[in-house]
Amino acid sequence: MKKISKKQRLADVNRNLQLRKVIRSTKTLQKCRKSRKKNRKSTNRFNWKMFNNWIDQLIDSNSINITKLKKNRLVLFLPKVMNFSDQYEATTLHINVIRKITSTTHINAYKLVSVRFNDLLECSTSASLVLTAEISRWDDNIRNQLIPDIESWNENILKQFCELGFFELFKNQPKIEEEPINSALSTVKYIKSHEHDVDKTIVLKHAIQKIVGEKISKWTFLYTGLSEAITNVVQHAYPKNTKTADNERYWYLTASFNKSNSLLKIAFYDQGIGIPRALPSSTKWEKILSYLSKFPIGERKFHKHLLKAAVEVGRTQTDKSDRGKGLSDMLQFTKQRKDGYLSIMSLKALYKYSISNGKSKDKAVSFALELPGTLIIWCIKLQNI
Amino acid sequence: MKYIDIGEDYTNTPAGRFYKDKNNKKGSGEEFRETMLLPALSSLDTGEKLTVIIDNNVEGYGSSFLSEGFAGVVKYGHMDSHELLEKLIIQYTDPDFEFFKNRILEYIKNSSFASEQYQSTKTSING
Repeated sequence: MKKISKKQRLADVNRNLQLRKVIRSTKTLQKCRKSRKKNRKSTNRFNWKMFNNWIDQLIDSNSINITKLKKNRLVLFLPKVMNFSDQYEATTLHINVIRKITSTTHINAYKLVSVRFNDLLECSTSASLVLTAEISRWDDNIRNQLIPDIESWNENILKQFCELGFFELFKNQPKIEEEPINSALSTVKYIKSHEHDVDKTIVLKHAIQKIVGEKISKWTFLYTGLSEAITNVVQHAYPKNTKTADNERYWYLTASFNKSNSLLKIAFYDQGIGIPRALPSSTKWEKILSYLSKFPIGERKFHKHLLKAAVEVGRTQTDKSDRGKGLSDMLQFTKQRKDGYLSIMSLKALYKYSISNGKSKDKAVSFALELPGTLIIWCIKLQNI
Repeated sequence: MKYIDIGEDYTNTPAGRFYKDKNNKKGSGEEFRETMLLPALSSLDTGEKLTVIIDNNVEGYGSSFLSEGFAGVVKYGHMDSHELLEKLIIQYTDPDFEFFKNRILEYIKNSSFASEQYQSTKTSING
């Protein structure tokens, strides 16, 4: 074998290194092409025609008030009243429209460019929290480009959303003149936090004391319920196998006090997968319901059944005997105060526990429309005000 | 007699089951058990008792914290429920905290000895 010269050896090494670079870049190119193909496939899977048809149907049936602009751009007008008690369908529909349109990136699908508050005259604490959360999510998705326009807002609604801290969401905040408005409702500035943050409950406690002007008796049990609600969000609401980005794993919290009827409301909302979807079906009956949940009516019943099981018997995702007590912890504050209610809304189901003059009752209800997350409301009457 | 004053020695906002449930990894039931309760229990002399003060400047307790913090001692096989209940005295002055005392005792009684193997969640988030 012929011994190669130093010069030859160096040339060989250089050629080899060059070759490796070429191979590496070809492999990366191939990987890029594959992932682009995958992305294209997944975008293709989204049926934008069906989606646009759904919006058109809602407009035609007057279920929502939307103005169409050029290039598939939409302006959504909120209804006069938004709450989850007697306006559940309309409120949830508008929340869903905002969520669905703002989650779609397909070039041919409708795009939301504005949500108008002009017609809104009444909005419950929980509805305003959910609305704030959905608009915050939208604003985060488009890199904080939303600009609020407060012209022709109802003054009570403006005050309510101002107190709620709604305008602090935006980079471009409007100038709001602080005029005293006689409204019986005082709202606590909403708290938006990342899933692991539990200590924010103390911020809420001080804010409630400020608007109510006294210590809340049995606060210990409200803290217990809130800390378990947050722990549930951490452990179950945003599973690792879902596509939720880290910056979307938030929960939202607020409270309000109505001087005219002495009602204190605390609302907690997360945009996770929902309690019924976080639970496994274990009994035979649940497995049947799970099968039937492929159909709309079956799904409603399934969600209702699982939510009730989660609160009453501590059904849990993990199936471990020492788990699943969190939702029943949430009942304690209402039970200890002996006057008020707790309502848990998740996807297509509602569980409500109420107590008055020592008599308690509970109910579970199912809906046709789904709330895109979980909303927990504690409502109590403060006697000494 | 040895003492643990949760509000004074540990945190006034106990919450969450595991280290990973809190962003600062502090105040969870798992941390309480591993850093406060187990060392205190193992330092007891024969016949000595451990008093845990639960209501001094403490906001409240969720089930996750109580079950992991107290019943976890039994679940992970450090001692059986009978032995743990013998050694523990749960102390409070605020009547609201009777509810939490009862829960602690209930969770310990219902926990099955060495039913799970302990794996720390301390390093499962943010390294």
